[in-house]
Order: sequence, then structure tokens, then C-alpha cells
Amino acid sequence: MAISLDEVRLLIEAALPGAEVEVVDETGTQDHLRATVKAPQFEGLSRIDQHRLVKKAVQARFDDGSIHALSVKTEPR
Amino acid sequence: MTDPQLKDKVEELIREHKVLLFMKGTPEQPRCGFSMRTVGVLDQMGVDYAALDVLPALQPLREVTAEISDWQTFPQLYVNGELVGGCDIVEEMAASGELAELLGVEQPAEVAAPPQPQPADPQQSPPIQIDS
Repeated sequence: MAISLDEVRLLIEAALPGAEVEVVDETGTQDHLRATVKAPQFEGLSRIDQHRLVKKAVQARFDDGSIHALSVKTEPR
Repeated sequence: MTDPQLKDKVEELIREHKVLLFMKGTPEQPRCGFSMRTVGVLDQMGVDYAALDVLPALQPLREVTAEISDWQTFPQLYVNGELVGGCDIVEEMAASGELAELLGVEQPAEVAAPPQPQPADPQQSPPIQIDS
């Protein structure tokens, strides 16, 4: 079951209000995604903690197999 | 529902090895692009590292690392007992010089390897086997 890029973007935006989120499909099969996220909530957080926030937003979709792989790039906004 | 013996074993490995990579496959035969790229970065850094293939116990290991590090995807690089991150973070830190600093090595001249197979590094420890 693939997932729409919009859905991933919305999940991240919902978890991180005020974030600028871009989600692209790396392989054309909609299960290897790349999310670039700039969020105010990242200020002062280590990279790993920034990534944890993004991963948590989409965890259910990892668990049900909709997302096979997600590359994440974060920076504070 | 975490397997307590597996968790103990994983915690022991994290304590014992200065640089420890949980990956899919082995450094000689990575089974996923992200794992392969992470191996590539470590090889460029020229450090000794221990590697554990998570595929034989993938779901149990996800549960264990979720408990230990609040992180469930692989690869995972641990340095000095702490989770550094997955492929993205490792590559970013390699490019910025932070990874070399963390590992206590000189920043290599050429970092950010393109995704392609790397030759086996004769210096690294043999792959770890978990007996369950």
C-alpha cells in the first residue's frame, strides 16, 4: 500500500505546527520518500532529536508498511 | 513485548564497542542502500567499527532499539554508547566534519561517497552474531 506525498506532508505539518515541509518520492514507487522539514520546534535540538520528531509524525505509516523508507533532512526555522 | 535477553545483549554491544553499526546485511554485502552508504562513510573515516546484521531478527531488534534509543529504523550508528543517527545524519555529519571530530580522526579529503559498493575494509571486526 503506497502513500500519497500529501498525506505524509500533512502528517508532519500536523505534528509540527509552523513547519515548512516538502516531501518527494525518491524512486517513483511512493514508498521511498524524502522529507525536508524546517520547523521552529527544532531550535536547540540535536539532529537526532529533530529527526525523532519527524519520524514520530509518520510512525503509524512505517508500522503499517505504507512507508518503506524515509530520508529526512531537518533544520530549525 | 521486548525480548529481555536480546535487549541485554544489544546494550552490552553498545557499551563494548566504541563504534557500532546496526545495519541490514554486512559491510561486505549490504542489503539496503542506506546501510551501504553508511558503511561507505565509515570506511572513508578509516575507523575500526563493529557491524551487526539486523535482518535475522529485524522486528525484535526494532523493538529493542525503540526502547533503548527511541529509534526503530536501520541503519543505526552508535559512537561511545550513544545513538548518532541513521544514514542521513551520518552523511550530514561526515560532510560537516562533525563525524570525524566525534570519532577522533582527521577529516578525510574526500567525503560524501556516491552510492556504490565499497571494498571490504580489512581493519574492521568480524560481523557480530547474536545467539538467541
